[in-house]
Amino acid sequence: MNTNKNEKFNARTETQDGVCTVYLTGELDLSVAPDFRLVMEPLVDNKEQDLVINMKELKYIDSTGIGILLSVLKARHGMEARFEVQEVPAQIQKLFDMTGIAKFFVTQKNSQ
Amino acid sequence: MNAEVQRVTLNLPATADYVDIVRLNLYGVASKMGFSYEDIEDMKVAVSEACNNSVLYAYSHEGGMVEVVFEVDGETLSITVKDEGASFENMNPAVSRAGLHDKELTEAQIGGLGFYLMQALMDDVSVESETGKGTKVVLVKRLARSEEKV
Repeated sequence: MNTNKNEKFNARTETQDGVCTVYLTGELDLSVAPDFRLVMEPLVDNKEQDLVINMKELKYIDSTGIGILLSVLKARHGMEARFEVQEVPAQIQKLFDMTGIAKFFVTQKNSQ
Repeated sequence: MNAEVQRVTLNLPATADYVDIVRLNLYGVASKMGFSYEDIEDMKVAVSEACNNSVLYAYSHEGGMVEVVFEVDGETLSITVKDEGASFENMNPAVSRAGLHDKELTEAQIGGLGFYLMQALMDDVSVESETGKGTKVVLVKRLARSEEKV
């Protein structure tokens, strides 16, 4: 009944102790890329906060999504501001490795 | 194989909103054939990239259609993604085949990654593109033999 809802893309933001974490759920593809860009824009520009993307519930990403991550990486690198990805599912990590974007990420393993 | 080739054809508006429908259908066809979860995930990415190309480059302003054909031939699944729009320039193989592996962050570009992924994730990829006549991408994946299925 709600299978459709489960796949629907969502980006939820939480800020705590100077760290802004964006929790992604569903499928990040071409159709929702503009929404994702809108969410990220103000966060990327905020140099005072560390920026983290949590991908635990992300089901799918395409090259458009990877492209946005690359532009976030570039912007944060340019400002010398921290940016990392957390809890990347195996299938998505595989795409990061394959495309070569993986080496640009500071990944934080689940440390619990 | 004595079985005939079986075809499932989808005709969709060339907009981003319909690409997930292609993924859902791919899942149905590929799981029926006995592909593994990982193979299906790989094919989802490849097929979506092919569709993205049609959505992004084929019909610049006026709407058009994308045709997706799943062909089941024994243990081989061929997926054809075809549009009738302008051909896309990103198909220069020399440009597309590179990932970001040799790049510094400051010089990394995302263009061509979609095509790169298609090639990395499928067994065979062919692209026919003719100016004014559209683009046809054929993606092929074969069932891995090592599984318990015959």
